[in-house]
Amino acid sequence: MKKLAFYGKGGIGKSTTVSNLAVAFAERGLKVMQIGCDPKADSTLALRGGAPLTSVLDLVRAKQPFDLQDMVRIGYKDIVCVEAGGPTPGSGCAGRGIITALDKLRDYGAYETYHPDIVLYDVLGDVVCGGFSMPMRGGYADQVYILTSGENMAIHAAANIAMALENFKDRGYAKLGGFILNRRNVKNEDAKVQELSEDFKSQVIASLPHSELVTDAEELGKTVLEAFPNSDMAEAYRNLAAAVLREDAVC
Amino acid sequence: MNTSYRIIPCYTGDVSGVCSALFELGGMVVIHDPSGCNSTYNTHDETRWYDHDSLIFISGLAEIDAVFGNDQKLIDDTVDAALNLHPKFITLVNSPIPYLNGTDFEAICRIIESRTCIPTFYIPTNGMHDYVPGAGAALAEIAKRFVSVPEGKKPGSVNLLGVTPLDFAADGSAESLRETVERAGFSVHSCWAMGDSLETLSHSGEAAVNLVVSAMGLPAAKVLRERFGTPYVAGTPLGSFSETVFASMRRATETGENQFPLLERLNQTDSGIFAIGEPITMGSVLAAMELPGTVLCPLEHCESLLNKNTLAVVGEEEAETMLKNAKVVIADPLYRPILPKGAKLIELPHEAFSGRCFRKTMKNLFTIDYDALRKEASL
Ligand SMILES: Nc1ncnc2c1ncn2[C@@H]1O[C@H](COP(=O)(O)OP(=O)(O)OP(=O)(O)O)[C@@H](O)[C@H]1O
Ligand SMILES: [Mg+2]
Repeated sequence: MKKLAFYGKGGIGKSTTVSNLAVAFAERGLKVMQIGCDPKADSTLALRGGAPLTSVLDLVRAKQPFDLQDMVRIGYKDIVCVEAGGPTPGSGCAGRGIITALDKLRDYGAYETYHPDIVLYDVLGDVVCGGFSMPMRGGYADQVYILTSGENMAIHAAANIAMALENFKDRGYAKLGGFILNRRNVKNEDAKVQELSEDFKSQVIASLPHSELVTDAEELGKTVLEAFPNSDMAEAYRNLAAAVLREDAVC
Repeated sequence: MNTSYRIIPCYTGDVSGVCSALFELGGMVVIHDPSGCNSTYNTHDETRWYDHDSLIFISGLAEIDAVFGNDQKLIDDTVDAALNLHPKFITLVNSPIPYLNGTDFEAICRIIESRTCIPTFYIPTNGMHDYVPGAGAALAEIAKRFVSVPEGKKPGSVNLLGVTPLDFAADGSAESLRETVERAGFSVHSCWAMGDSLETLSHSGEAAVNLVVSAMGLPAAKVLRERFGTPYVAGTPLGSFSETVFASMRRATETGENQFPLLERLNQTDSGIFAIGEPITMGSVLAAMELPGTVLCPLEHCESLLNKNTLAVVGEEEAETMLKNAKVVIADPLYRPILPKGAKLIELPHEAFSGRCFRKTMKNLFTIDYDALRKEASL
């Protein structure tokens, strides 16, 4: 079982990219589980075709007995969808919530029951506190991929995440798998992201074009791979999947 | 409000449960806490301090270190102390602040272990549970890490699992238990965890059967069952009930099946007789008194010990409701205020409930005259 976590600045395109990646893996015959680690609980929307999914923390909050099936929705191409969820906005502790949600998943035997070949953690924004580092901790992801564009803010956030990984070196955490460039078509985009990756002795494993098809697919409530399977954008996501598998085999 | 406690106290917490279980094993236990009410173990919850030393520390977590998630002080202090004191193992114990902070104890253990070369492990507590899960997890970890694969089983030998002063507080209790079991022809291989060293415990895989005398011993029994196939019996050999327990031990050895003599025995609920507390000891007390009755279990992680005569009870209000038709109650004296008028209380102080309040009248469960107790209870 491969476990991969995806980090990056808020709004950079993590959920979109991870969902398309999930489909690309599934197309290759792999059993995929995608876990949204974000209080917004919107990571797997495009995989569920609008079907509702109660987040793990909403189940916990209801204080009623529940079982594994309640935490999960089987989506497009049998992808196992999970949303961690979070506390009521403006209260509680979202980071602690992620820990509780991931603990619950493990305690309920999610990994053993669904036996995924690949688990994808789609993790919110920056690593703002201990809770958001949970998916990169021992026993969770083996590799972390960081999404960024050439925008300064995105690069800054990406550098912070890479730095966190470096600081945790002696803790047996996930390793940095590489950077994924999700283009915003800003000036010197390639060079800036390349420089970032070199700063961390890593590499840019794939570049995704900025494409209207992404928003078109989003409007349809689908991934690009489902809505426009023959498009160049779909191909770009498939290439990313191939790159991730290659990377992962190397490490 | 229905699960709050207004009148009776709550039970000893999980943190103290861990410390109590590991007290005699020569390890070093560090409670990561600011020295607040989760580290009362060092000041209140342990009576063995008077006669024994043990390496149990509080990290003295500072507010600012909690805010910044600075784990370095905990790591450095623990490494320092360990390199000076040479404990057999290091255990880190969590408390509410680092729990809510999401402090990564597994990673910290890894770092400490690599710097000290001393086995280091974490027992996941948070100060919000009772002593049974704490002590249970601690003993289970010992069973996982330190018990070596045996060359063979020694017929007639037994490990006693779940023995700490939290359930067996009277001086001499552990010795009496040992004698009781040996008198029946078994040889006691080890006692988890009073009176035996980690070295002795590490050979526990050789025992033919495990006797779980309180719920604290159940997780370790399950580990030993899984690792070495050793069957276990859940029951405390008290008074006339001892014979049943010993018969179950023999049956377990012969059949390889776990035995729950208590679940078979008690089968009358409307007698108006109740025992409150840890389900294995209190169930065995009722059985030794040869009284039909119901055990009320206010403790966690006891699900597998419950049946229609051993009921979980959560909070004071529920306890009061369940006891409203009680005629005789066997329980710690601090339960008295929630008993219905006219109910007779047979006092059996329980350290995990009332601490040292009744230390002077604490009874050795293994030497009680249960016939006399039954007469005292007679309606
Ligand atoms: N390659 C792309 N081309 C065009 N639009 C894109 C691309 N990638 C993502 N987007 C758009 O960017 C927006 C944000 O994407 P998404 O929700 O995936 O980001 P996110 O990183 O998950 O955000 P958050 O941090 O809020 O969870 C979406 O409207 C999405 O359609
Ligand atoms: Mg998202």
